Amino acid sequence: MDVQPDTDPAMVLFSPDAADEPHKPYRHLLEQCPVARSDNGSISGAAGASVLISRFEDLNWALKHPEFISSEDAVAIGNDRPLIPLQIDPPEHAKYRRLLDPEFSPKKMAALEPDFRVLVNQVIDQFLDRGECDFHEDFATPLPSTFFLRLTALPLSDLPVFLQWRDNIIRPDVEPGDFDAAAEIRAATGKEIYAYFERALDDRTAQRDHGLLSRLLDAEIEGHSLTREELLDICYLLIIAGLDTVTATLDCMIHFLARHPDERRRLVEDPTLSPVVVEELMRFETPVMVTARTVKQDVTLGDVELRAGDNVTLVLGAGNIDAEEFREPETVDFDRGRNRHLAFGAGPHRCLGSHLARLEVRVALEEWHRRIPDYRIPDGAEFHFSPGIRQTDTLPLVFGSG
Amino acid sequence: MKVRVDAATCQGHGRCYALAPDVFESDDHGHCMVIDAELTPEQEAAARAGADNCPEDAITLTDD
Ligand code: HEM
Ligand code: SF4
Repeated sequence: MDVQPDTDPAMVLFSPDAADEPHKPYRHLLEQCPVARSDNGSISGAAGASVLISRFEDLNWALKHPEFISSEDAVAIGNDRPLIPLQIDPPEHAKYRRLLDPEFSPKKMAALEPDFRVLVNQVIDQFLDRGECDFHEDFATPLPSTFFLRLTALPLSDLPVFLQWRDNIIRPDVEPGDFDAAAEIRAATGKEIYAYFERALDDRTAQRDHGLLSRLLDAEIEGHSLTREELLDICYLLIIAGLDTVTATLDCMIHFLARHPDERRRLVEDPTLSPVVVEELMRFETPVMVTARTVKQDVTLGDVELRAGDNVTLVLGAGNIDAEEFREPETVDFDRGRNRHLAFGAGPHRCLGSHLARLEVRVALEEWHRRIPDYRIPDGAEFHFSPGIRQTDTLPLVFGSG
Repeated sequence: MKVRVDAATCQGHGRCYALAPDVFESDDHGHCMVIDAELTPEQEAAARAGADNCPEDAITLTDD
């Protein structure tokens, strides 16, 4: 159906408090306008009509048909050129994934598990005796970013700069709706990120280290090394995709478990449940709420005509609570047998880091609950989730029962 | 019962070999390989769980 400006579902979905309880706007979309097209321009301020797609089946189709619904022009986050591999369509896309997939394969990631488990415990040691912490600030932020810097063999002392860049790009500090100011911050930050990786690649061109950048320098596609631009376009995406998402996922999951003691007790009593807990909470929480596309060829979806050039928002979180696919979607059910959630996307752009992310989140939950089985959010605590990628601004916890 | 994975459809989510490590395994890219297409009766439930959870519908089970 066509929608009116005042009930524009995109406005509802990206309103400041939607990310705190996103199931409400998701339900609204699924029930009222599973394919919603509006001529009011897109949520990012880009010109053209905007389309929201919310049903599991439609999302699944869209994710697997880049010839119609493409990610090529979909994201502008301060980058000068398309991000690799996110903004490259098949068949070109596959040659980059062939090169990157082995770097993030389940086997490679499994070898990192002991090292990561040690790191989780070191992070917990920093605050355990205090009996309280800011989960977001003290745990969810340093853990994945420290590990990511180890993987890339970049200096840990650069972490504050990376976190500042991440915030500038993903949630620039501007008045809501001031797209020009946001674009300006992103462009300036983008320049700094390119300059940083130019230097990092120069250093490793002169002398290889044991990290990912050196391996990318030696990698070949069809007999050619990657060009400097290709290397930069990969690094740019990795730093954005790798730093923020796991933090958000940890925030979402601990927030849920802090408020659902029965589910938490099951995990504490049976840590072997952790992989299932991760998958079910990925579905229920969907930390990455949406992803962006544009229409490449006219196509009709659910009676709605989409036109080439339309800006598309794939509402992954809505698809993950679609009753057509998930039995009792509003129930967190660790015994749910079938769970084909879309929290890591699907189709060719399926999250490159999903095996790393799953490992990090699972081990973090296991070690946290082994050492801190009881915790709660103190009464009156004020915090919010950011829209898009749902992380908290602060998440105070006190340990112990009672 | 037999199990088959369509290599062109598989995108390497890794749900299958996480759920049924006796039936499926990962190649160096994280894509799925079937260990033995011929399933023993004990493997059938695990193989079905893998097939059910494959986001790409890349796994088929056949009776023969
Ligand atoms: C739990 C944490 C994570 C979540 C929820 C998540 C979610 C996603 C989603 C939904 C997509 C698909 C985007 C689309 O189709 O438009 C994606 C793609 C991607 N993710 Fe993740 N991600 C996570 C962690 C990571 C990590 C740790 C890395 C870094 C290694 C990473 C790197 C990427 C890359 C490079 C892509 C693009 C893949 C392609 O276009 O072929 N992600 N992620
Ligand atoms: S779950 Fe499906 S897509 Fe994923 S590795 Fe297995 S067969 Fe491939």
